[in-house]
This record gives sequence, C-alpha cells and structure tokens, in this order.
Amino acid sequence: MAESCIFLVEDNPDDAFLVSRIIGKVCPETIIVARDGEEAIEMLQKMADDASYQQIRLVLLDLKLPKINGIEVLQAIRSSDLLRFLPVAVLTSSDNDVDQERCRALGVLDYIFKPLTTERLEHLLSLNKDA
Amino acid sequence: MYENGERRDMGPLPYDFSGIALLYVEDEADARNMVSKMLAMNYPKIKLYSAENGAVGLELYREHEPEIVMTDINMPVMDGIRMSREIKAINPEARIIAVTAHSDTSYLLNAIEIGVHHYVLKPINYEELFSVIDKILEQIVLKRLVGEQNRRIIESERQLSSAQRIAHLGSWQLDLADGSMNWSEELYRICGLEPGSIVAHYQSFLDRFHPDDREVIRNAIRVAVGNRQPVSAHFCRITRPDGSQRTLQVEAELFLDGAGLPATMIGTSHDVTEIKQAEEQIRILTDDLERRVIQRTSLLQASLRELESFSYFVSHDLRAPVARLEGFCRALAEDCSNCGDARCSVYAERAERVVRQIKHIIDAFNNLTHYAKCKLVIEEVDLSAVVRNIATGFEQSEPERQVDFIIAERLRVSGDPGLLQVALEHLIGNAWKFTSKKERARIEFGCNDKEGTRIYFVRDNGAGFNMKYLDKLFKPFQTIHSPGEYNWNGTAIGLATVHSIILRHGGRIWAEGEVDKGATFYFILEPNPEPGNFMD
Repeated sequence: MAESCIFLVEDNPDDAFLVSRIIGKVCPETIIVARDGEEAIEMLQKMADDASYQQIRLVLLDLKLPKINGIEVLQAIRSSDLLRFLPVAVLTSSDNDVDQERCRALGVLDYIFKPLTTERLEHLLSLNKDA
Repeated sequence: MYENGERRDMGPLPYDFSGIALLYVEDEADARNMVSKMLAMNYPKIKLYSAENGAVGLELYREHEPEIVMTDINMPVMDGIRMSREIKAINPEARIIAVTAHSDTSYLLNAIEIGVHHYVLKPINYEELFSVIDKILEQIVLKRLVGEQNRRIIESERQLSSAQRIAHLGSWQLDLADGSMNWSEELYRICGLEPGSIVAHYQSFLDRFHPDDREVIRNAIRVAVGNRQPVSAHFCRITRPDGSQRTLQVEAELFLDGAGLPATMIGTSHDVTEIKQAEEQIRILTDDLERRVIQRTSLLQASLRELESFSYFVSHDLRAPVARLEGFCRALAEDCSNCGDARCSVYAERAERVVRQIKHIIDAFNNLTHYAKCKLVIEEVDLSAVVRNIATGFEQSEPERQVDFIIAERLRVSGDPGLLQVALEHLIGNAWKFTSKKERARIEFGCNDKEGTRIYFVRDNGAGFNMKYLDKLFKPFQTIHSPGEYNWNGTAIGLATVHSIILRHGGRIWAEGEVDKGATFYFILEPNPEPGNFMD
C-alpha cells in the first residue's frame, strides 16, 4: 500500500509550519499543503482522478482562505462522488457559531480552535482509526 | 263692605309689596289717624309715613322718597297741590293720589296738570281708595319686574359680549331670504372693523374672507341650506383692512320657519389664529424632534456598526495571530525544554500564560459588545424569582457559608429575561463574592419608590469599596481589588456588563459603598423598554 498522507489546507505559512510540526510529532504521514481554497480543490480533483486520494488519512482545513474559503472547499469535497467520504477536520481561530453550524451540517470529524495541540491531533487520529 | 276696615272680598294681591312706602298727608288729625290705621291693616307690608301738612309732607318725602303719596288738597302751611308740584319736581315718577272734597274740584285741573293722576273723593270710600292703591301698587310692581328683566337682559348681553371678546368668538345671524345679517361686536373686531361701521350683509360677510376661501364658505352655507344640516367647522382666512390675516373657525346652525323651510342661520366665527400658530409651532417642533431622533438613531447605528466591525476584527483577525503566538509558545516550551538555559522554558511558559490572558480579554470584550448590540426580547420578568434562583444556586455551591438573603416579593418588570438574568447574576455574584470574609453575610434585593420612579437595589454587608473609585466601578477591564484578593477572574467586566444591560433597558445604575461596611447597587429600568436593537 502506498504511503498515507495528511492533506493540509492553510494559507498562513506560520500556521502551516505549526500544524506540520504537530503532525510530525504525532504521526509518520507525509503532509500535502494547499495554499488556498482553489488550489486545494484543484489538487484534490487531481488526486481523485488518479485515485491517489485514497492515501489521504485526514484533511485539515483552515476556514479563512483566499479565493475560495474553507466552507466552500468542504462543500466541494462533500459533493464529489469520490471524495465525499474523506475525513475532514476544521481548523479555525474564530469563534463564529454560524461557521461551526455549517461545518457540522456538512460533516466534519472535529472543529478545532487553533492552535492545534499534539493531544488534539492524537485524539483526532484515534477517532479516525475507529471509524 | 268693610267692617273694621278689613277687606273681605279680595285675596291678597299676587305681588310682593315689600320695600314700597306710602306718604299720607292730612291736616285733620282724626281723619289722619283713622285712614292711617285702615292703610296699615290692609297693606301690612307697606311702610307708612304720615304728615299734617304739605310742608311736613315734603320734608318726609325728601327723606324717604316713598313711591306713593296720598294727600289732602286744602291744608294749612302748604297745600296738597304745591307739595305735589315740589314732589314731582324731585321725582316725576312719584304716584300721587289726591283726596278731595267736592268743593275742591276747582283744584283738579291744576292737579292733573302737575301729574296727579289719581283722586279719591271725601268722605273716603275705602273700597274706592283701596282699588286705586291696588292699581298703583300693581303698576309699581310691574314696572319693577320690567326693570329687573331689562337689567338681566343688559347684564347677559354684557356677559355675552365680554365672553365673545375674551374668547375671540364672534357670532352672526343670516336671514336667508334677503341676505341681511346681524354681527356681534366681536365679529366686527375680529374683522378689524369698528363695531357697526359697515352694513352687515351676506356679501360684506363674504368680502371679509381671503379670495381663496370665499368659495369654501359660500359652498358650505349652500350645502348646509340644501341638506338642512349645520355648517361643520371650516377653517378660513380673513383679511383685515390693515392687510393682516387671521384664521377663523366658522360654524353655523340652520333654523327653519313654520313651514319647515330654511329661514335663518346662526353662526360663530372663532379667531383661532394664535391657536393655529401654536399648532404649527408644535408641528415644527415635533418635526424637528423627529428629525433629531432620526439623526441620533443613525449616529447610534453608525457607532453600533463600527462596534460590530471592530468586534468582528477582534474575534477573527486578532484571534488568528494570537493563536499563532500561542502555537509558537507551545513549540518553544516543548522543543526547548532540553535547552541548556533553564530560563528558555520558563519564559516560554510565562509567554503562554500571557497569551491565555489575551484570549480571556478577547472573550470578555466579545461578551461585552454582545450586550450592546444583541436584540432585546421584551417579556414580563419576575426579578424576585430570578434573584431567588440565583441565591439558591450560590447557597448550593458553597453550603458552608452563612448568608441571609432578603428578597422583596413580586418585583415584576418588562425586560429581556436573559439579559436581566445575566445582570442580576453579576450583581448577586459580586455581593456573594465580596461578603465571603464575613462570618454572617447579608444580601438584600428590594426597591424604593421615589418620585414615581422605582429604584431597585442589591445591598450587601461585605467588603464595600472606597467611593473615590466610583467612576472606575462600571468600566470594563478595571478593578479596584487586587488580583487574587477576591478570587478575581482577571477580566473585570462584570459590572460593565451589568451597566450595558441596564442601559439597553433604558435605565441607569449607580452605587454606594464604604470599605468594610458593604456596597449597594441601585438601578432603574425604563417601564417600556424598546425591543430589538437599532441595527434594523
């Protein structure tokens, strides 16, 4: 079986660094980073086309993104035949109740307030394993 | 017919003779006494004077001016004719009865000339005398009645005229057959005319009005006559000869003749210029007020929008870098724990605490702004019940504490139940917290009514505060107690929140306190707070 990976959608390099650091501490998965919503959808589409999407163990999705925001990316994932079952966790620094409601309605594994901690990621991966 | 001089065949005359006096002049003492007695007996209400000759009689007349004089003609010193002339000169209205013997008839022409219109022949026939006196009395009384009526008419006319002048209310009467009119003096004055200075006629009436309003009046009267109905109030302008304009309220009633046809119209013209001006003034002021309210509301909306975008900035844009900072602090603390310098991890941990503090402040700020912009839902709220529930909650949380709650019953208000609950939680919570060092604490919730305003209060006997810090009390992020002294939560927005909630209810809050004696927080609430918010 090919190497599994974690798909991170994050525009801020500092945040991308911090999340990658936590992932590196918790699991051996490689990290694929998309810098905005548009790029994320393009990359995911390509992975759907070549079936490599199956290697994605988890999508970590920032909500506030340039061009296409996180919720739209989530909608795109959920409306794709191949990608719809991908486990997605949202990362956010805002406490917007509406966003949270919409994300939960679209189906997310977790809704995480930044910064991501090792404990939270471990918990998340354990949830994912059970599923 | 008369026995003992009593009149038997006639009842008392149907008039009141009190106040009428009669002077009887007769030189023969026996006759004078006898007739006087008879008069007194028959006319008990009449005041009687008697004299033995014309001179004495004239003196008495001058003194008392009796209405009736009854006199003998032939008398010593001054005869009856001369006296009568003198009396008539004093008062031409005096009624004189001449008592004459047949031999005196030569005087009669003189007497008539003087104005002596009544006479009785000697020897006196009492029936005849009393009939003459009765006739005179009746005339006097009738004259008095007419005089009284006239006086009343004049008085009521004067009253009506004064009333019209005071009220600036003129009246008029219109003869529908020929257009002739009758105007009250005040109507002339309202029109800026000398009373009676022009002929009152329908055309001159119409001429008073402003050309634009003339047709209004003409039409109103035409319609009223056609439909047999009153003229309802019309506001029309008139132009005075000096060019000034007045506003009249014109109303009228229609009167029909015997055949049921419109005959007369009686109306009023009320000068309402000042009233109309006052109304206009009120309208202008109301408009101005309305404009100011709109202006204030839009200012309020602008600052609320600013607040909203600011709190959006805080909750979204500020949180992201703070979270990033927290992440790096964590990374420092975790990755540099094995660093040679022990201070590295200590500093990293302290930096992490600072970041958590910043997050607390952001949370507190967002809570606070929430109360300034959220929508108010107004319901009836039983503050007493709310306070009781809060008190029970605190008692259960720390059962070992001795706290007496004194809560006034049935204090109901209109307000947002959720927000008022939060405000009271903070107030009771403060009281609970700051009485924690008291062995026996006392927390009171009640109200005083002062000048029609209900003032609610929460009073405790706890730590109190120094009044010089009063202005810091309701400001967010300010505290007058040291951290840790009273389990301080680090943000100090409790009273600022209460302040914000009370303001949202159109109310006011203030406090009194003394160090170690306790604190009292007073607040008033608008009886009908406005629901919603100003954002819509």
